[in-house]
Amino acid sequence: MNPLLPFIMAGDPSLEALPRLLAEAKALGLEAIELGLPHSDPIADGPVLQAAAHRAIARGATPVRILEVLAGITDSPDLILFTYLNPLLQIGAERLKTLLAPTPVKALLVVDLPFGEEPAFERDLRAAGYPMVPLLAPTTTLERARQVLAERPDPGPSAPFAQRFAYLVARLGVTGTGQSTDLAPVQKRMSELGILATRPLAVGFGLSDAASLAAVRAMGATPVIGSALVRELAGGRSLSACLAPLL
Amino acid sequence: MTDSFALPTRFGSQQLGGCYAPETLMQPLLDLEAAFRTAWTAPAFLAELKAELRHFVGRPTPLTPAPRLAAKVGLRALFLKREDLTHTGAHKINNALAQALLARRMGKTEIIAETGAGQHGVATAAACARLGLSCTVYMGVTDMARQAPNVARMRLFGAKVEPVAAGQGTLKEAVNEALRAWAGRCDRAHYILGSALGPHPFPTMVRTFQTVIGEEARAQVLEQSGGLPDTVIACAGGGSNGLGLLVPFLGDDLRRVAVEAGGHGRALGEHAARLEGGRVGVLHGCKTLLLQDEHGHTAETASISAGLDYPALGPELAALALDGKVVVRRASDDEALAGARLLCETEGILPALESSHALALLTALAADGAATVLLGLSGRGDKDLSTYQSRLGI
Ligand SMILES: Cc1ncc(COP(=O)(O)O)c(C=O)c1O
Repeated sequence: MNPLLPFIMAGDPSLEALPRLLAEAKALGLEAIELGLPHSDPIADGPVLQAAAHRAIARGATPVRILEVLAGITDSPDLILFTYLNPLLQIGAERLKTLLAPTPVKALLVVDLPFGEEPAFERDLRAAGYPMVPLLAPTTTLERARQVLAERPDPGPSAPFAQRFAYLVARLGVTGTGQSTDLAPVQKRMSELGILATRPLAVGFGLSDAASLAAVRAMGATPVIGSALVRELAGGRSLSACLAPLL
Repeated sequence: MTDSFALPTRFGSQQLGGCYAPETLMQPLLDLEAAFRTAWTAPAFLAELKAELRHFVGRPTPLTPAPRLAAKVGLRALFLKREDLTHTGAHKINNALAQALLARRMGKTEIIAETGAGQHGVATAAACARLGLSCTVYMGVTDMARQAPNVARMRLFGAKVEPVAAGQGTLKEAVNEALRAWAGRCDRAHYILGSALGPHPFPTMVRTFQTVIGEEARAQVLEQSGGLPDTVIACAGGGSNGLGLLVPFLGDDLRRVAVEAGGHGRALGEHAARLEGGRVGVLHGCKTLLLQDEHGHTAETASISAGLDYPALGPELAALALDGKVVVRRASDDEALAGARLLCETEGILPALESSHALALLTALAADGAATVLLGLSGRGDKDLSTYQSRLGI
């Protein structure tokens, strides 16, 4: 099982630092990392990731520049590009595939793209090797959850974690730490779906301390750490210093 | 629990609209569509809505002939659909009240809303007070300053006004924050979106609740003048009063016009004219004409009127515009101010700055050959007095 899925915002603390951060993540033994593409209107993000996105945009971290910085990088975990739809739509599927080809990006997590809204775009990118990560929220009914998982299927055990996992949102609301997250409903949902028998699962939103990460691992899933990490990195701590104690 | 939408989610030849929502909001949106569909055919709901629109909102609103303004701008006849005379002073109450009734029917106890000009916030706060629902309104800090009287009104109605300081502190940021708040409380709260915007089913639902404007106006103009006007015109922020007025005239052989905010210039960031300045993109859950930069980031906007100061045109109105069924024009800040002054002086009616953008186009319409015009006066201008005072030097 993959023990940790960290999230970092591309361009924060800086775009120049990104290759080094990715190399550091690789050295820590991380298999995959979510890389946020900063957006002007991050409607699913809390204050920490909003602020990180705005800092990154202000420093010139545009989607295309970020992908250009990633081009040719091999010393990196697999990347899951975490983004909103509009920047990708404006780049267009054809150019996006060209831009992604030389990068370590293996999958896309598009926060505001439910399955079925852009079927041609999604099919095209999946065929090129960039599947969309299926997301399940506390409001997702069991029936819908099965539909989401079927629409965004697991390519099978030979594919890397980044292309296989489903993302279970642990609580209502937006990204960020704050109130402690009750993991009992997550556990219930996992057993209802029997999902771990078939594909890897990441659990995120609101996780920050070692105890909650351990609780997610004990359920057999990979914990996601986002806002807590982004805040520390922005404060000048190194990725290793932040993550080593959590691994 | 429904697992797919039953109503069409897309508009026009470019398939605008859709439901580009985070997964957390998908089931609440599916449930909302189902509740809306049932309510809209439920005699009890329709009867209660009709009674509230009559006794609380003050419908039907009058259609006022404006002969002195008509003469001044070179028209033969001009009729004003007086949404400014509704309770709370703008068309926003038609939708806010209907959605509040729907929320109560769905068993929701809390209401979330965004507001730009404050008219939707005031309308929602009033509807919530009347129905005994708790209400939180998100409003940009820039808008709170320029529409201060409405902030006080919302608070008097018992609503909590949450200032949104991000970005430009206007409507776009308020919608961001309202969507975030809804994702956190969607188990108990309903989000009353104030314009024909956002993810499905909001654009369709809001337009449905607003078409009472055009249905009344069409019957009234036929009764008063014995025929239809050659032009029907309204201002367009997201497009709710515009669609509400124009949709019932879609089958008629006349010119339908929507007026966007031309702001103070033609460069990106200086206006909110989405037809000319925008490209198709996705914001706040729908695909539509959007002011954006080359990176797909939402552009800044500018308008003297908070209610039109928004980067996206509602998807249905955008589709009607792109498919040639509605003409979209723009009026600058200065033109809107002049339009407001003219209505005040000729007819003794103080329009909202938003509605003044439609008034600003009258002379141009007459020059284009229009003779009889029906204009949607979406709101009253009390909230804008301080702007009128400073900008008109009175
Ligand atoms: C009086 C008035 N007219 C028009 C608008 C614009 O909204 P819409 O285009 O949805 O009618 C507003 C919005 O705040 C308003 O207050």
